Amino acid sequence: MKIAGKWIRRILILLFSLVFLIPLYIAIVNSVKPYEEVIKSPLGLPQAITFDNFIDAFNSSKILELYQNSIVITVVSVALLILLSSMAAYVIARRRGRFYKMLYVFALAGIMVPPVVTLVPSIKTLASLNLLYTLPGLYLFYVGTYFSTTIFLYVQFIKTIPVSMDEAATIDGAGPFTIFFKIIFPMIRPCTTTAIIFLSMWIWNDFLNPMYILGIKGGSTITTGIYSAIGSYTSQWNLVFANVILASLPIVILYLSMQKRFMQGMTSGAIKG
Amino acid sequence: MKHKKWKDGLFLAPGFLTYIVFMIVPVVLCFFYSFTNWDGFSPTYKMVGFDNFVELFQDAAFFNALKVTAIIMVVTVLIYNVLGILLAVILNGNTKLQNFSKSALFLPTVLSSVVVAFIWSYMIQTDGGVINTIIGFFGINPIDYYSSPLMTIFMMSIIICWNSLGFFVVIYVATLSTIPVEIMEASKIDGAGSVKTFFHITLPLLMPGITINSILSVAGGLKQYDHVKVITGGGPGGTTQTVTLFAVKEAFEYNFRGYSSAIVLVLFLIIIGLTTAQLIITKRNEVEY
Repeated sequence: MKIAGKWIRRILILLFSLVFLIPLYIAIVNSVKPYEEVIKSPLGLPQAITFDNFIDAFNSSKILELYQNSIVITVVSVALLILLSSMAAYVIARRRGRFYKMLYVFALAGIMVPPVVTLVPSIKTLASLNLLYTLPGLYLFYVGTYFSTTIFLYVQFIKTIPVSMDEAATIDGAGPFTIFFKIIFPMIRPCTTTAIIFLSMWIWNDFLNPMYILGIKGGSTITTGIYSAIGSYTSQWNLVFANVILASLPIVILYLSMQKRFMQGMTSGAIKG
Repeated sequence: MKHKKWKDGLFLAPGFLTYIVFMIVPVVLCFFYSFTNWDGFSPTYKMVGFDNFVELFQDAAFFNALKVTAIIMVVTVLIYNVLGILLAVILNGNTKLQNFSKSALFLPTVLSSVVVAFIWSYMIQTDGGVINTIIGFFGINPIDYYSSPLMTIFMMSIIICWNSLGFFVVIYVATLSTIPVEIMEASKIDGAGSVKTFFHITLPLLMPGITINSILSVAGGLKQYDHVKVITGGGPGGTTQTVTLFAVKEAFEYNFRGYSSAIVLVLFLIIIGLTTAQLIITKRNEVEY
């Protein structure tokens, strides 16, 4: 009975893993087959591997330009969010009094707001600042959108660091900037890792916001670029899959290289909250 | 400890200013626009009172979008939480197979929803689609997944779940691993079978995980846009359109920004209402040990 249970469990686990891996297998094998073979045997391994689809994708959807945009947008937005949120979180976590408590509640209010609520008004604001259809406009929009989540992560974490650290440094004559950047910021690195993982996934994969904030003039990201590129292929699935693989490669490599941190980061962020 | 007020200001101001301009002000503006007939580019617009809301509650397209959103939300919440907990129970452990499976399950969560939607629109094609080929091995006739809106909406919910289930499972596994082994053993020594242990011990102690996951999954289900946009674009005839898709269309294709603001405001209120209700219900059910 017990052994049977163990085997049922193993088989269930295998079946579920297959459900999650088959679509990925399909995308990979069909990206290196010519069109006719995709239609004839979608499930089989390729008879001969061809990279024509990738070359085609490189030429037609300007993949390099899309990569560049997405990387710049993700890196700058995440860096801004980390800097601005951790600084604000530091003051909120350290100071006592009603004012700072209310400020914290005010900062958290944005967590519940779906991005589609802020999109239309932000477009108007960005237009009046001459930032619509520009990358800086998108950075600012992301800082506004994810400030609540990021400050929440940081306040929780900074509260676990003893105040005596700050006090000792103050006695040594250090000002608040020195204390924060030299002492606190290095100590909150685990939290920064979590924030980087979450934020870069959300921003790299975002679709709706860059579509309207960057528009046609402001350039495309990987997601919006792939969306319009694939839209023009209709049923050229071999090309679709080559694009799909190219769009996912960086984030998948990032995930596979720091898998443990990904899972830890995700759970520590969610469970402690 | 003494500190200078103006230096605190330097720490707080950059972040809070951006947050106010791109979060608080837009929410207030959205509220304001929902009472106007603004079209998105004219410098002038009129206050129209509750006209947008009156129109909204007579708009069949809105109610259909609400229905589609509700179906997606219910199906995804059930799968994330019921299947999610069951998977977490069998995956809780550190054998090679379990770790491999956790990675496999989690891999799709890092993929973009657009990418996932493209892969799956290939998988669910009627002719030559992979799903139909696979069920064909078992002698099942090909299914047309676009035959009715309900069928399509259901398939899209499954696809959304394939994309994010791993995240919810990982959270449940993490919560499970915080339950002390002694509690489980004590329950076995007391003669409780595995089913009894699951319902009387595991499930109540999983409550913190259930709180987070149910709130995230309900709010997430209500915001669906990406997958639907890629797979059906809301069609045919708006029958598979979610509230977000409907609002974006009204705002950017027809330029009814005032009307669109009313739509997203109603969505926002629904999300706040449901989240608050969930917080109250789940907090009441959390147990200490």
